[in-house]
Amino acid sequence: MNTLAAILWKDLVSEWRSRDRVIAMGLFAFLVVIVLRFALPGTDPVEVKRLAPGLLWVAYVFAALLGLNRAFALELENDALAGLALAPADRGWVFLGKALANFVLLALVQAATATVFGIAFALDLVPIAGRLAAIVALGSLGICTVGTLFSAVAVRTRYREVMLPLLLLPLLMPILLGAVSATTSLLGDGALPFEPLQLLVVTDGIFLIVSFVSFEFVLDE
Amino acid sequence: MTERPGSRVTASSALERFLRALRTPSGWLFALLFAAWAVSVARAPIDSVQGVIQKILYVHPPLAFAAYLGFALTAVGGALFLWRGDESFDRLARSAAEVGLLFCTLVVITGPIWAKGTWGRWWSWDLRLTVTLLLWFVYLAYLLLRSFTEGSERAARFAAVYGIAGLAVIPLNYFAIDMAGGRSIHPQNLERGSLGAGMGMPFALGAFVCIVAFVHLLCRRVEIESLRTRLAERLMAPRGPGARG
Repeated sequence: MNTLAAILWKDLVSEWRSRDRVIAMGLFAFLVVIVLRFALPGTDPVEVKRLAPGLLWVAYVFAALLGLNRAFALELENDALAGLALAPADRGWVFLGKALANFVLLALVQAATATVFGIAFALDLVPIAGRLAAIVALGSLGICTVGTLFSAVAVRTRYREVMLPLLLLPLLMPILLGAVSATTSLLGDGALPFEPLQLLVVTDGIFLIVSFVSFEFVLDE
Repeated sequence: MTERPGSRVTASSALERFLRALRTPSGWLFALLFAAWAVSVARAPIDSVQGVIQKILYVHPPLAFAAYLGFALTAVGGALFLWRGDESFDRLARSAAEVGLLFCTLVVITGPIWAKGTWGRWWSWDLRLTVTLLLWFVYLAYLLLRSFTEGSERAARFAAVYGIAGLAVIPLNYFAIDMAGGRSIHPQNLERGSLGAGMGMPFALGAFVCIVAFVHLLCRRVEIESLRTRLAERLMAPRGPGARG
């Protein structure tokens, strides 16, 4: 538990001092939103409401990939990764600390992106902000668990920036389908549907267990 | 790279000796079954609705059985490698992924040909189509990960973790795509036992042919991998006095 808090604190402090990851992720997500807006032909509000959930999650996933790619890049300097691997602590807690730090950073970016998205697509997200945040949190949890696991893998391969999306996107399909489906129904009638949330919770659980257990084998130096 | 406890380099294990013994018999069995299968497919009745294109039935699902077998073996081999640290399990996992990917590619090619003939379009975002396509991507990424990782022990560990995650995601994908409205338009023939008269035999033979072909290719692939390991060991081994290169 102490390990988790120490890793989380270390990551958040070092991010607070440089702020480069959050700024890069945020700017990238804004650009994706702008590009998507111009790529859409019409501004018919019904059409926009139908497409918006998918587009929002595309922006979220792209931003997450950008951030996750850097999650372990910092640890490569001065062999900090070897230090983490040698730390006299359960590696599962090291993993949870890293994943939680990614989750916090991603949440900040997602909140800002949702605001920009709402303005760009003329959607009033304020009345549903709480429920949307719940869906986004469930989705991000899944993204950050397997994302952190395979970020630690990808960072030690050749072409690491390319490797992470190739590894991650096919695995994230249940998360994306659940999150987009839940967001669609939220934008439609303001209700939280049961099935997609159930899918998200189950997927999050499985991803969390698989990542927690197998991080041990990924960090081995 | 420090070795984990229990990790050992073995050029040959009981598993590999078994697969090597299986190589020649499985080759002959494949040749025999293939001939029988070809005859029975030629003599099978022409479907009254779909016409001759229905005969893809004797190829397409059997290929899928072999592909799924390959992916299951990849995850099992990876898990055994992580557990026991025996590299022969990793060679099994890697070979199963390669052979499985070959079969999966054939499934993804034969499927649209049949679909164009009967459903009228090459691709529909049907439940099983989408899950199979995602599986194909997972195992392509698995092999890419192996070739982009330096150090065979590290590549084996990374790949094992990814192979297990890839298997864990299959049921989730089924549920997710089903929920998203991708209702299956694949017929449930086997469950209903509604294969027409004279179609059961060639179908069963097709399944056997594909499984035996898979096993045979797997034996050969594992053998190549273990020969490669043995060669690497020989090249790396320090040469004693008087040893000749």
